[in-house]
Amino acid sequence: MPAYDALIIISMALILIITEPLPLPAIAMFMLFMQVILGIDTANNVASSFMNDAVFFIMGSLMLAVAIVSQGLDKRLALGIIKITGHKTWRIIAGFTAISAILSSFIGEHTVAAMMMPVGLTLVRYAHKDPRKVKGLTAALLFSIAYGATIGSIGTPSGGGRNVIMMNYWAEFGAGTVSYLEWMKYIYPMVLIQIPFTVLILLRTFKPEQSNLDSAVRKLVVDVARAGKIKAREWVAISLFVLVFFGWVFLSEDYGLGIIALVGVFLYLAFGLVEWNELNRKTNWGVILLFGAAISIGIQMNKTGAAQWVANVIINNLSQVISSPEVLQGSVSVLLTGVMSNILSSSATVAVVGPIVLDLGGDPILIGFATAISSAFGYFTAVAAPACTIIYSSGLVKSKDFLRAGWKMGVLSVLSLLGLALFWWPVL
Amino acid sequence: MMSKHSLINPESLRFLTAVSSSEFSRPTLAMGSLIASVFDASLGVVYVGEKANEFHGGAVNLTRQNLETWDIIHPGLDVLKWALQELKKLNPENTDLAKIQFNTDHVFEEDGRIKIIMPDKEDGRIELILREGELVDQLRKEIQLESYDLAIIGGSQNKQHLAHSIIQYLPSSVFVLQKFAPRKKYKLLLLVDDSQATAKSVEWGALIAQKLGWPVKTLTVSKTKLFGPGYQGAADMAKAYFEARNIDVEQHFITGDPVSTFVDFAGDDHIVIMGASTLNPVKQLLFGSKPIKTLARTDVPILIVR
Repeated sequence: MPAYDALIIISMALILIITEPLPLPAIAMFMLFMQVILGIDTANNVASSFMNDAVFFIMGSLMLAVAIVSQGLDKRLALGIIKITGHKTWRIIAGFTAISAILSSFIGEHTVAAMMMPVGLTLVRYAHKDPRKVKGLTAALLFSIAYGATIGSIGTPSGGGRNVIMMNYWAEFGAGTVSYLEWMKYIYPMVLIQIPFTVLILLRTFKPEQSNLDSAVRKLVVDVARAGKIKAREWVAISLFVLVFFGWVFLSEDYGLGIIALVGVFLYLAFGLVEWNELNRKTNWGVILLFGAAISIGIQMNKTGAAQWVANVIINNLSQVISSPEVLQGSVSVLLTGVMSNILSSSATVAVVGPIVLDLGGDPILIGFATAISSAFGYFTAVAAPACTIIYSSGLVKSKDFLRAGWKMGVLSVLSLLGLALFWWPVL
Repeated sequence: MMSKHSLINPESLRFLTAVSSSEFSRPTLAMGSLIASVFDASLGVVYVGEKANEFHGGAVNLTRQNLETWDIIHPGLDVLKWALQELKKLNPENTDLAKIQFNTDHVFEEDGRIKIIMPDKEDGRIELILREGELVDQLRKEIQLESYDLAIIGGSQNKQHLAHSIIQYLPSSVFVLQKFAPRKKYKLLLLVDDSQATAKSVEWGALIAQKLGWPVKTLTVSKTKLFGPGYQGAADMAKAYFEARNIDVEQHFITGDPVSTFVDFAGDDHIVIMGASTLNPVKQLLFGSKPIKTLARTDVPILIVR
């Protein structure tokens, strides 16, 4: 019975999240109190499953994003990109994609998108007074930020909350542990492979109207140069992040990614680089509550056997169509996660789907990787990835633009993942 | 049928105009400005943008705050800035309006929306409002909050859905400017029947005809050849109401399907005025209503009076 109860709670929560009659924090509370009311677990056990290192990480990374973005480092970033790329449009698109991908691997896609957007929009504004006259250029620049950040976010555990949620499930379900560097060893080649193809897709899909952005780049440089030389405060901000990064790489196995993220936030506060009021105001506490509750019910899905039951139903029904267990497990995890990511959000998808795919059979680490990676395949809609929502909020790209380029990105990512699984993972 | 007391107080009317972009909203804003000006009414201009889903709302807000440090403002504020410039062009004689400068520092959040603070002289006369969310839901909230008498909105490609939503959920009268051309010579076509809303429709028709000098026709449609006393009486009362105000009116009585007749008669040079349905919302959803069907099928501007 508790398994059915867990399924009922998660089904109702999914309906509430998709149809949005209630705010997310209310849905989070619903998931928590229903576990106790339906007798799935005691109040204390539900509370302890609610708060774990993955939730610490999501909380820490959201606060770190506020702390990093408020330092004004985006102006330095703009100068750095322009120095590397020069003035040619295709090189700028390539630079935006590569920098967004690499940075988002470490500091999360929403932080990168928040920092890159002003640079992209300023270039668009200087390229033409009326952005509608340079629709192709605008779309190519903005999508290079969004898709760059999205493809990069799979590269390391700290690239996105969903990666840490999967690591948490591996640990909770006794599937093993993966270190920061091991994650990179398995996944990072896919980030690097996708960067040039993403640039190609964006240039061919949106066909920028101008091949050279001489004047726009010059005006941008003048704008940015007003910020003057890099200040001591900015050096401290960068150094603290580097410290956090090294903490993640070398200490996360002992202390957890979330705890290190919280240490980072503490240091930003202690050095006076960000005010608590600012962090408090700009952090989305509702999302943290929801992920805590979703992970909690995910753990109950596993404990009660509900995840196993759903996995069995899927396997029994699809094994007549796909005979190879490996292909079946891989396709179900990728398709289920990819489709749900485009409806929900990538992290919420991993929180909900994670326990089920890990019960499909096969190597849970590899299935977990495939799930975490495919949760980033949210290219088709503006809701899946934070970076996509951010560029959509500019009002300069339309829903159909996501479909125009998104299907190509979807094919690219599935092929890259297939290549990774067939040729790279077996040799590790 | 006609009330002895006026149902509309022309001295204190409040209009709301919804704008979406400088590309598509020029005619809507022009109409809003025109009728606000002739009625000496206050005019709210609202932009309703899409709201980011709750998962990423924090990231979008963080980005917007960062964009402000680069002097890049919310796209909705850009549209409102354009709307203010456009209103100045449309009302060159309004010297108070001409002095107002759009200032993004003068915005404040209140009641789930962003409002631009206007100088004292214009306070309450013109309001610029930014909302985020589903269009009809946000318009409903704005109308309820500020007690607007009339909402003026542009047409939509998804006419069927729009017709249902605005007629069912907006609590004020609604003027839908489908294919509206500001320079075109329109005639008012007032649909008259024995429903309760006809009285207010006649008052709106008379007010607009008086203020704008547009010619008026009334149309009464019966499914049978017999026009009952309710229909005949309503048409006569409407005629008397117009004549009492020295407005010439042409009366038409046609037998046929009401909605098809309205649509055919309206052609492309009338502005249709009709009362909102008195059917309950469930029946309207299941069976539709004359206003919903007319709005969905016609291509001319239509004023649904509530």
